[in-house]
Amino acid sequence: MPEHIPTTPGPHAVPEVAVSTTSTLATRTGSWKYQVPAYHDRVAPCNARCPVGIDIEGYMNLLREGRVDEARDLLLEENPLPAVTGRVCHHPCESACNRRVLDGAVAVHAVERMLGDLAHTRPAPVVKAPPRDERVAIVGSGPAGLACAYHLARMGYGVTIFEAAAEAGGMLRLGIPEFRLPRDVLDKDIARVSAHGVEITCGVQVGTDVPWSELTAGFDAVCISTGAHTSRALGVPGEDLPGVRPGLAFLRDVNAGKRPDLGRRVVVVGGGNTAMDCARSAMRLGATVTVAYRRTREQMPAIKEEIEDAMAEGAEFVFLAAPVEFTAKDGRVNAMVCERMALGEPDASGRRRPMPTGEMLTLEADTVLTAIGESSALRNFFPDVEGGDSGLRVDALGGTSRDLLFASGDVTDLDRTVADALGAGKRAAIGIDRHLRHHKGDTAELNALRFADGNLSAARWAGRDPVRRTAPANTVVTPEHVNLSQFRRVPRHGEPHLPSDRAVQGFDEVNAGLGTAEAMDEAQRCFNCGVCTECDVCLIYCPDAAISRAPGGAYVIAMDYCKGCGLCAAECPRGAITMSQDRP
Amino acid sequence: MKKVMVGNHAVAWGARLARVEVISAYPITPQTQVVEKLSEMCADGTLAARFIKVESEHSAMAAVIGASATGVRAFTASSSHGLLYMHEMLHWAGGARLPVVLANINRAVGAPWNIWTDQNDSLAQRDTGWVQLYCEHNQEVVDTTIMAFKLAESLNVPVMLMLDGFYLSHTAEAVDVPDQEMVDRFLPKREAPYRLDVERPHAFGGLVKPDAYMEMRWMQQEAMREVPETLAAIETDWQRMFGRSYGAVESYRTEDAELVLVTSGTVTSTARAVVDQRRAAGERIGLLKVKMFRPFPSAQVREALTGVPCVAVLDRNVSPGHGGIFAEELRSALYDLPHAERPEVFGFVLGLGGRDITPAVIDDVIAQARAGKAPTREDIWVGVNP
Repeated sequence: MPEHIPTTPGPHAVPEVAVSTTSTLATRTGSWKYQVPAYHDRVAPCNARCPVGIDIEGYMNLLREGRVDEARDLLLEENPLPAVTGRVCHHPCESACNRRVLDGAVAVHAVERMLGDLAHTRPAPVVKAPPRDERVAIVGSGPAGLACAYHLARMGYGVTIFEAAAEAGGMLRLGIPEFRLPRDVLDKDIARVSAHGVEITCGVQVGTDVPWSELTAGFDAVCISTGAHTSRALGVPGEDLPGVRPGLAFLRDVNAGKRPDLGRRVVVVGGGNTAMDCARSAMRLGATVTVAYRRTREQMPAIKEEIEDAMAEGAEFVFLAAPVEFTAKDGRVNAMVCERMALGEPDASGRRRPMPTGEMLTLEADTVLTAIGESSALRNFFPDVEGGDSGLRVDALGGTSRDLLFASGDVTDLDRTVADALGAGKRAAIGIDRHLRHHKGDTAELNALRFADGNLSAARWAGRDPVRRTAPANTVVTPEHVNLSQFRRVPRHGEPHLPSDRAVQGFDEVNAGLGTAEAMDEAQRCFNCGVCTECDVCLIYCPDAAISRAPGGAYVIAMDYCKGCGLCAAECPRGAITMSQDRP
Repeated sequence: MKKVMVGNHAVAWGARLARVEVISAYPITPQTQVVEKLSEMCADGTLAARFIKVESEHSAMAAVIGASATGVRAFTASSSHGLLYMHEMLHWAGGARLPVVLANINRAVGAPWNIWTDQNDSLAQRDTGWVQLYCEHNQEVVDTTIMAFKLAESLNVPVMLMLDGFYLSHTAEAVDVPDQEMVDRFLPKREAPYRLDVERPHAFGGLVKPDAYMEMRWMQQEAMREVPETLAAIETDWQRMFGRSYGAVESYRTEDAELVLVTSGTVTSTARAVVDQRRAAGERIGLLKVKMFRPFPSAQVREALTGVPCVAVLDRNVSPGHGGIFAEELRSALYDLPHAERPEVFGFVLGLGGRDITPAVIDDVIAQARAGKAPTREDIWVGVNP
């Protein structure tokens, strides 16, 4: 018995209380456990839901530590155009963000925009694998084509983009107005792709100026990323009247610097981003705008912020109204007759189907802009390639039914957003690389490139994912896995906007974005879902002091003492510890 | 310094004068004022204690156990269901030999719900290894709270003191508040023989096998056996310094008595008045106040009651299926007396759930005890309409 432990005199010679004769290490509480904790980095929902496949959580973590350049480089591993997507992406990452259940999703787009803009003044080093002999032709320089070219160039391929328009950018330049995406920003992001050695040949219409056969013969692989430029027809009487025109054609004019005369009253038909861009552009040309949409506001496919901005700038909205006829006066449209709709059962998209009610409504109009979706006219050139009215059919790596012919972006039958196009371009690049190297990987190998069921990671494909993850488990963290009580409430940073009355005076960018300091603060709001940030909460809460810092980072659990209570897993702020009944 | 204060504030003043270092408690009627007063004292700086807020009484007791194990002076207070919720931890404090002091405001236990006084809550804790002291008035409450720490720390046993809910907890009386400097001399800073110490890490409360468990229980029992003598010595000191003492039991006008009433808690004051009236009328009636229930003061009780023909025990509690609990323990203490000197013991159950025990009720007790030649039942219920 150590001498500092008093014992009762007499034959017992035991202390009054149960006290170990040596240190607490004598009590090997580890023998009590029936479950064991383990550090398992899991997948943040933003990463899983990003159509581009960006390691958002990873760059937020780097920003938290002030490692701005590394954050920029990690972002550029997957996304060649972050200054663009920071402005125009529909950010499904934010819809999935677990922080929404506490005090609002992290403004991921604003942080991405800051990094994208920063990369213009402080460019990232060009990362390229050793050059390869094969050359790839890409048709179209929209986000899909640019992404495909960028990733192929980084893999070492020689890449040429053929662009029909006078300048590169595709729908980013032709369809998106300057007040959402300033042209200098777009130019600088595209310059990054060129800086990787990609040759962009503008003013060349493949199929007219250059035959398709020349491409397929002259290059080792071809990727079609021509987009979808044909506005869908409404199919109602009077659609051909002067004054009724496709919204996309109108945007193309405005974005080229033209200022068409629309008259006083403009009606926009549709509820997507093209419709919002038409409405907001028309208001900037002095028109009074009414948007007619056959469903309700909640069902509009446009980005929420764009709807809000359009409303703030003065657009009127008529919901549950579907056009049935255009009327004319003096040979030009003067009104659109709509039928009132009511919501019925859900359709294939999961949204409630608008059902006609028989009640009519007339909206007077000097100009009608139709924006109910676009389709691709490319099918005519490739009658032997599988596809339908909604576009070419491609496999998981952008391959079409014809060997060495790939496709990505709006020309395919996949989702039509900027982010989806960037993700599809990357998939096609990986598909082309895999094909040209005769690499026969299996599905499991591809799944290892994903965050859960998200897009493929180019960094992982290249074997240079810089983010160390502990025993990664490819499951997505839900709000139930996050310990909200470990986080202080910090409101989401709002971005300053031009006052609406001033915004409609011209085409200046409306959303000013966050300053670097604010964006860095916003990054601090990230929960880092599922990924150990070495915050020490587990170490502090362990009642057996069984957790200690490992040399070189992270933690070790002394299993002789861990009694499997599960407090570390329950208290972990971000769900990076799991309990299991496996033997340690 | 004299102050007028309710019993709950007398508890808080006692804890403050004892310079408790850690308090953890959870509020419950009728104890809440104790917690409120102490938290005020902590907030305004007049008491330099760490007040640990918790979500339950179980955690409150666990917190003061942890605090006490580090060698500091720790205090808590509860009542009724709160005390019952502490039950597991009460055993732990007793077995771990931690000198925690707890004030329990006696309150009946549900069902049915009741917030008024009786003693079933604390008597249900009699086997947890705690000393139990039942107080009669607010001066006794202040003094006993301070002495409780001295007793607890002298023998490493936890001490629980009791106040009748509302009858004492919410009744204002004049209290002579002991001088702090004198209390400091009476009760210096605690010196713990065992304590959690990061410099010398040890595991406390680990597994003890059959070869030593019984010895530890034996030592606990030995400490309990020393309580009456230690308390007497402490009260002698208190008497010398402050001019007051109470005793584990107190005989009041029992000389030549034919009938002795046995009481605990506030009923004692009522019974004193009844005894005074009867004595004035020439009746030979006395009173024995039993303040200490654990350890049961068997020797003192025997000394006080030997040769008394008739004893009437007033129990504000009941052990269903048996009878009043003080009466039960009293009979056990008197059993070894020679038959000729052994009193007839009548056990009365009364005043449950806060029902008032008036002088008329005590008159009824006296009449029933006198009428019975020998106790025919173990428990006589007073004032019940069956």
